[in-house]
Amino acid sequence: MTQAGEFTYRRVHQASRELLFDCMTMPEHLTSFWGPDGTTTPLDGITVDLQPGGRFETVMVNRADGSQYTMRATYLEVSRPERLAWIEADVEGGMTTTITFTDLGEGRTEVITHQTNVPQAYSSPEARRGFETSLRRFDEYVTALASP
Amino acid sequence: MTTVASDDELSLTFAALADPTRRAILTRLTAGDATVGELAEPFALTQQAVSKHIRVLQRAGLISRSKVAQSRPCRFEPARFDEAAEWIGRHRQQWADRYDRLDEHLAALRATARGDEKDGDA
Repeated sequence: MTQAGEFTYRRVHQASRELLFDCMTMPEHLTSFWGPDGTTTPLDGITVDLQPGGRFETVMVNRADGSQYTMRATYLEVSRPERLAWIEADVEGGMTTTITFTDLGEGRTEVITHQTNVPQAYSSPEARRGFETSLRRFDEYVTALASP
Repeated sequence: MTTVASDDELSLTFAALADPTRRAILTRLTAGDATVGELAEPFALTQQAVSKHIRVLQRAGLISRSKVAQSRPCRFEPARFDEAAEWIGRHRQQWADRYDRLDEHLAALRATARGDEKDGDA
């Protein structure tokens, strides 16, 4: 279920959970696919301290002009091969990314990426049309988060 | 006039929206312009407290204040909100592209593994 205040991205890959988890956490893999199109993510710019509280940083280099962008994150959960989570403290007061790996059988794995701390009102054009409703739902979401 | 918000400006927008009172103020303003006094009423807040929230929303580009009337009514400004929504769209796209590249990477790994098997057989 998608809660208010988060957006979800779902993919199915032809690979085991273990391999996918390793792809998302091992510099040798990350360097091949991490950065946006038009950038490279050199191996020596990737820091992975794979434990809760450990650093996860990637330096992405623009192919065209050599300019760099660094993603700075801290791991929140490292549970191979089920789940991986990190927080980018500098992004919107703390952008949390949680990736869940589910075995679908026959060598296929469902990968669900949640990003939270995104106001519900922003998550889709439909939600945006109902601006008022969205803000109220976001309110409820934040309130629910705050209650024990 | 259209301006493109920088990441820092978007951070201000998100930070401004992270407060329930400010969201309630924005919600009220989507129904029409209102003065600080009118905004203070339903929230059981002092005008001073509301003014503080107003300044945060103004800095975030989410509202503007009329300079015409002395009461300087507040107005919801959807442009920055739209930019933030567009930002989210781009963000989603980044993940879509990232997983596309991951698929290519996985295909390359499979091809290499097959190559190794062949080498092993030979």
